[in-house]
Amino acid sequence: MKRILVACGNGIATSTVVATKIREAASERNLPVTVNQCKLMEVESMASDYDLVVTSGQFGGTVTVPVVTAISLLTGIGEDETIEEIMNFVKQ
Amino acid sequence: MFIFDFFIKAGPIVMIPVIITIIGLVFRLPLTKAFKSGLIIGIGFAGINLVIGLLTSNLGPAAKAMVKNFGIKLDVLDVGWGSIAAVTWSSPIIPILIGTIFVANIILLILKATNTLDVDIWNYHHMAIVGVMTYFVTENILVSILAAASMAIITFKLSDWSQPLVSKYFGIPGVSLPTVSAMSSLIIAVPLNWLIDKIPGVNKINLDMKNAKKYLGFFGEPMIMGLLLGCAIGALAKYDLTRIFQVGVNMAAVMVLIPKMVALFMEGLMPISEAAKKLTSKKFKGRKFFIGLDAAVVVGNPEVITTALILIPLTILLAIVLPGNRLLPFADLAVIPFRVALVVALTNGNLFKNIIIGLGTMSAILLAGTATSPVLTALAKTVGINVAGGGLISSFASTSLTASFLVFKVFTSNLWITLPVFIVIFAVVWIYMDVIRPKKTHQSGDEVSL
Repeated sequence: MKRILVACGNGIATSTVVATKIREAASERNLPVTVNQCKLMEVESMASDYDLVVTSGQFGGTVTVPVVTAISLLTGIGEDETIEEIMNFVKQ
Repeated sequence: MFIFDFFIKAGPIVMIPVIITIIGLVFRLPLTKAFKSGLIIGIGFAGINLVIGLLTSNLGPAAKAMVKNFGIKLDVLDVGWGSIAAVTWSSPIIPILIGTIFVANIILLILKATNTLDVDIWNYHHMAIVGVMTYFVTENILVSILAAASMAIITFKLSDWSQPLVSKYFGIPGVSLPTVSAMSSLIIAVPLNWLIDKIPGVNKINLDMKNAKKYLGFFGEPMIMGLLLGCAIGALAKYDLTRIFQVGVNMAAVMVLIPKMVALFMEGLMPISEAAKKLTSKKFKGRKFFIGLDAAVVVGNPEVITTALILIPLTILLAIVLPGNRLLPFADLAVIPFRVALVVALTNGNLFKNIIIGLGTMSAILLAGTATSPVLTALAKTVGINVAGGGLISSFASTSLTASFLVFKVFTSNLWITLPVFIVIFAVVWIYMDVIRPKKTHQSGDEVSL
């Protein structure tokens, strides 16, 4: 099972939106995932426990796992493409 | 009338699920989904109330002892923006105010007076609280609706005007940030920035503190901040060692638990936000606009984090030395990045200016937070918030924010004087920003910046 860490500015608002959409997309496709949320400031110390980091906005840090920027899940523009990108990763 | 009395008596814990269900139905959610949203938000309210109880019963007496021992008069507790958002969402008039803000946005879009489409319903609470507090003071629903509408118009216009900053500095095109907690700082930051640029010598100063994150990052984590502040205040209260650590760990708990409770609010409101997005994007199909997002999308910027980490300890010092301030910074130290995000974009990441301007905007927040804490505390008590020991509460949100404070003052003072003044000033700024400035920048060929 793939573990995904979703991060945003305060670990509350936009990360909840992104995390919920990832969970919904995964359950529609019958793919098992674990999705947790955190603050952007905590990403560097937490990322090593996850397979993928998804951020709702700009992320300036460096981590060893792949990072997907998912601002499209908030604006709705290019939303499907980003979801596909994340789901393709989960399928691997 | 009987039903109305029933809900007033039952309090927010019963009222919130009902109110949110109604808002959900207005945005055409299915009944079960709308009700579930309401119940989740009700649960969030119950959780926040527990944590505020923990916060005020620990920090309140310690802060009072600190005042007595050392004369550091910081007896207004910062319970955090999330607690204030809970108060806002549990007001009986919240459906009217949310509707007002939503309709104000639609009308301005139709009139082409704004380009910001703001369906980030979650952050409506920053605008709505001004209406809620105005209603609490004036008991006039019309004035309160006008106050909320004014907040909305100011927020959408500031979002339009600062959109080039967001696009250029943070590299996010097509997006504006109608989040009052971030936007409000510009009211002080823009003139201050202009002033600093005019002072010879000073306008050349820049600082480089790339290592700030390495050294201060640890202290910037909310749980560490809570522990250290709790222990420090316990020590200033002259508690014995065991009690100092008890206060410290309890405060670390508060810092971690408040956001978890607030996340329930977000979870409950998300289906409504999504429904509103679908509804409006259908209406304005083909029209080009900026999508209004939570400022959370830009606070991950490294310069914003560096500025915030430096400003957190400075804000605590500022609170002690600033004449007239009684607000004890605590829960909202964690959201200082939001208060400085647009300042950083405005100065193009000049750290020296960020710190000076940041201190300016934080001073305004502390003083407005102190000034409006009696009203806020009284309001919080009416919705059943558990403020232990009869102290005062405030935050770095609601009417502590410069824009919100000004609008609140306009609508709770003598309207015949304040309202015309407000309208004239806002109209002048609007004409300058939308008519005069575009011409000027066009002629000189300058890049557009605030």
